[in-house]
Amino acid sequence: MSIEETRTATDSSSGGERQIVAFSLGQETYGVDIASVREIIPIQKIVPVPRAPDFVEGIINLRGRIVPVLDLRKQFGFEEKKGDPNQRIVLVEAGQDSIGVIVDSVSSVLRISEGSIEPAATVVVGNEIEYIQGIAKVGEELIVLLDLTRIISDAEKRTLREADLRAAVVQ
Amino acid sequence: MADIRDEFGQDLEILLAEVGELLAVTEESLVELEKSPDNADIVQELFRVMHTIKGGAATLGLQEAVDVSHGMESILDQIRSGERTLTTELLNVLFQAVDWLKEWKAALTERREVPPNAELVEIIRIAASEVAATSTEGGQSDAGVASAGTAGSISAGHDSAAPAEACDETTKSLDTAVSEGKNVSVLTVRFRSDAPLLSVRCFQILTLLDDIVEVVASTPSREEIEEDKATSTLLVYIVADDGGEAARELVTASPDVSEVTLEKYQHAGRGDAIRNGVAHGEASGAGAPGVKLPGAGAAGADTAVGTSKAGASGEHTGGTARSAPAKPGQSNQDAPVPRRSELGRTVRVDVGLLDFLMNMVGELVIDRTRLSQIATQLMRNPDTAAVGSEIGSLAAHLQRTSSELQEGIMQARLLPVKSIFSKFPRMMRDLSRRCGKEIDFEIEGENTELDRTVLEAIDDPLIHILRNSVDHGIELPEKRIAAGKSPRGRVVLSAVHEENQVVVRVEDDGAGIDAEKVKRSAVRKGLISEEVAQKLSEKEALELIFMPGFSTAEVATEVSGRGVGMDVVRANLEKVNGQIEVRTKLGEGTVVTLRLPLTLAIMRALLVRCKDQVYAIPTSSVEEVLSMADVTVGSIQGKPAMNVRGKVIPLISLEGALRDDLWSGNGHRYALLTRSSDQPLALGVDGLIGEEEIVVKEMGHMLSRLKGIAGATILAQGDPAVILDVNRVI
Repeated sequence: MSIEETRTATDSSSGGERQIVAFSLGQETYGVDIASVREIIPIQKIVPVPRAPDFVEGIINLRGRIVPVLDLRKQFGFEEKKGDPNQRIVLVEAGQDSIGVIVDSVSSVLRISEGSIEPAATVVVGNEIEYIQGIAKVGEELIVLLDLTRIISDAEKRTLREADLRAAVVQ
Repeated sequence: MADIRDEFGQDLEILLAEVGELLAVTEESLVELEKSPDNADIVQELFRVMHTIKGGAATLGLQEAVDVSHGMESILDQIRSGERTLTTELLNVLFQAVDWLKEWKAALTERREVPPNAELVEIIRIAASEVAATSTEGGQSDAGVASAGTAGSISAGHDSAAPAEACDETTKSLDTAVSEGKNVSVLTVRFRSDAPLLSVRCFQILTLLDDIVEVVASTPSREEIEEDKATSTLLVYIVADDGGEAARELVTASPDVSEVTLEKYQHAGRGDAIRNGVAHGEASGAGAPGVKLPGAGAAGADTAVGTSKAGASGEHTGGTARSAPAKPGQSNQDAPVPRRSELGRTVRVDVGLLDFLMNMVGELVIDRTRLSQIATQLMRNPDTAAVGSEIGSLAAHLQRTSSELQEGIMQARLLPVKSIFSKFPRMMRDLSRRCGKEIDFEIEGENTELDRTVLEAIDDPLIHILRNSVDHGIELPEKRIAAGKSPRGRVVLSAVHEENQVVVRVEDDGAGIDAEKVKRSAVRKGLISEEVAQKLSEKEALELIFMPGFSTAEVATEVSGRGVGMDVVRANLEKVNGQIEVRTKLGEGTVVTLRLPLTLAIMRALLVRCKDQVYAIPTSSVEEVLSMADVTVGSIQGKPAMNVRGKVIPLISLEGALRDDLWSGNGHRYALLTRSSDQPLALGVDGLIGEEEIVVKEMGHMLSRLKGIAGATILAQGDPAVILDVNRVI
C-alpha cells in the first residue's frame, strides 16, 4: 500500500481536493479520509472477546500489539460475511489506540474535488447520518464518505456505558 | 528563565530530580519536627537538605531558589546553634518555604514561569532577623549567600578547597599496590571552574577508568564523591599496562575537564615522580589540544597553559594539586551532605527506557516459549531428533538467561512505597487541621517495594482513601470523647509483602461505615430501588460505595468532595490487577485493604480451552486443578456442585459464565478451584493446554473495562488470547 506516499501528497495539496480510501461494503462504496487511516492489512485471525459489545468482532495481534477490530457490517445492520479473501482490516487512529474496521474490500485511493461532495442530508436519512460526512459523485458511482473516528468514539462511549451499567447491577 | 532547561539540559534534570527527593524528605521531617521540636537531628538534617538545594541551585544560577533555601538555612542554623527555639511561627515559615520550593521545582519541570518569591523571602528575612541581630553577622551562612550569587563564585569556592593529601585509606591502598610491584600512575584531573555537579563528573570519570585500567585509589575517594564532597581537582591512582596513556586520553575527552596530567607515582622520591610524569605529559600533551577548553575559568585556563608549556610549569601544576592544604575552616562548602543510603550507587534511568526494555524482554519470553515448542516437535521425529535436542538445550539456556534478564529489569522497576508515602504525613496534617480533628498518622513498612507503574496507580486512590479516613472516618474530638474513645484519632498506613502480593492497608479507629446509611444514600440517588436495598446484606451494602455516582457526604466538602469516588479508586486499581476490600465495624473503625501485584507485565498463567477458545488465567488465582474424572458432581437445589475433600463447592461452566449463563455448559473435563468474592468456586473448562509465562497487554481504551477480563496476551504461536480475572468472572 502506498498510503504513506499519498498521504504526504495530501498534506501539501491545496484545498478543494480530498483524498479518500474507497472500500466496499455489500453493494455500496464507502470512503474515508486518508489522513485517518493508519494502515490496511489483510484479514487475519480474530479472537473474540467475551462480554465485548456485539459490533466488536474481537482482537488481533498486530506486530505484537493487541488491536480491537470492529465489524462495520454489523454496525450497519448488514448480513455477516466470513472467509472472503478480499476482506481487509482498515486500521484507524482513535486517540492513543489503533482500532481495526473490517470492510469487504478496498478498491482504491481516490482524489475527489470538494465540489463533487453533497451533504448527506439531501440523499440519506436514518441513524447512520451522524457518521456520514457527505456523498461524493465519482463518475456514475456514489461514494458515502464516513467519519470512522466518530463511529469508533461513539462505539467506545457505548461500550464504556455498558460496562458501567453492568458494574452497577448489584447481584 | 524559560531557557534554563535548554541551557543546562541534563544537569537541570538531575538537579530537579534530586530536589524532588530532598523535598519529600523535608516535608516528612518538618511534620516530625512539629511533633518533637527539640529533635536536634532533624534540624541538622533539614539544614543539610537546604544547604544541598542551595548549592545545586547556585551552580545553575537559579537565584530565586538560592534566596529561599538560603533563608531557610539561616533560620535552621539559628535553631541548630541554640540561638533561638523553634516556634510555631517559625515552623509555618519553613512549611511555606518548602511549598514554594515544590512549586518552583514543578514550574521548572513543566517549563512554566517560576513562581514569585519576593513575599516569601521577605517573610523569611524578617523571621531570620528577629534574633539575627546577635547572630554571626558575616558568618558562614552570610558567606554562603555572597558566594551563592553567581555560579562562578560558588565553584571558585570548590576550587580553593582542592583535595588534601591522600588520606590514610588511600595511602594504604597505594602502599599495597606498590609493594606488590605494580606500576602506579597518578592522573590529575582538573575541571573547568564553572563545571556543574562536580561529584557527578568525578563519578563518571572513575567509572570510565574502571573499564580500562585498575583504579587503586582516588582523592577525593569514591565514598567522599558519593557524599558530594567532590572538588574541582580529582587525583586518580591507576595501574595500567601503558602507563596510563589511554586513560589520560579518555579522561581528556570527558565533559568539563580542563586539564589532565599524568605522572608516575613513587612513594618515596616524589620529586622524581613529578619530573617523570611531566616527561609523559609533555609528549602526549601536545597531541591533545582538546585539553584547553575555551570556556575554562581563570584558574583552569591558567593551569591549562601550564601544561602546554614546558616541564617547569608542569612540575608546578603537579605540585599545587598535591600540596594544596585542606582548609579546615571551610566547612560550609564541604559540609557533609548525607545521602540516603539507597541513593548510594544509583543511576537515573528514563522510565520510558525501562518500559521499552520490559517490552523487549516480553518479546524474548514469547520467542523462547516458541523455540521450546519447535524443539519438542522436532524431537518427536527421529530424523530431526538430534537437531531438536540441540535446539532444546539452546532453548533451555535461553530460558535461564532471559529469566534472569527479566528478573533484573523487574527489580529495576521496583521502588519503595516511601516514594509516594512520604508526602502523606504533610497531607494528613493539613487535612486534620482543616477539619478540626486530632489525628495521629503512622506509616509502617515504607521500604516495601512495588513496581513503579503499580505505585503510580495507587497514588491517587490512597489520597482519596486517606481523605475519606479524615473526613468521614475519624470523628471530632468531642464526639470521640462522648463515645468513650481517646480524643486523638489514629490512622495507620501500612505496606507489607505477602507471598506474590503487596498489601497496602489504611486503617482508622473512626466511626466506621454505616451500611444502613449507605443503602439510604444509594436509594436517594436512584442507584438502587428501595426493594433491592432491603434485600442487601451488610457486605453487599458496602459494595454500593464502589458504584459510580455514589458519595455519602451530604455536602461535598473541600476535603473529600472532589468528584472522584470509590468507583474511580477501584477502576484505577483494576488497571494494575489490584483489588480493594473494605471492612468496617460501626463505632470502631474501617480497614481498607489494597492487594497489589508485585510486578506487572509478565505473569505465569494457566492456558485453558473452553469450546474452541483459549483463555489465560493467572496461576496465582487458581488454587487447584481437578480432573472431572476424579470428583463426584452432585447438585444442590438443582445446581451442580462438587464435593472436594468433604467441602461442597458450586461448579459453573467458565464458558457459560462468560456469556452470563452460569449453569449452561456441562461435560467439562477439568475444574479449576478458585475464589470469587471470597467464596470458593469451581470453574469447568474443556481442556488444559499448560502453564506459560505470558506478557500482559492492554486491549485499548474501548475494551478496558469489561468485567472479569484483565487484558490480553500473545501466545507462542502468535495468536492473541484473552486473560481472565476469574475472581470477577461472575
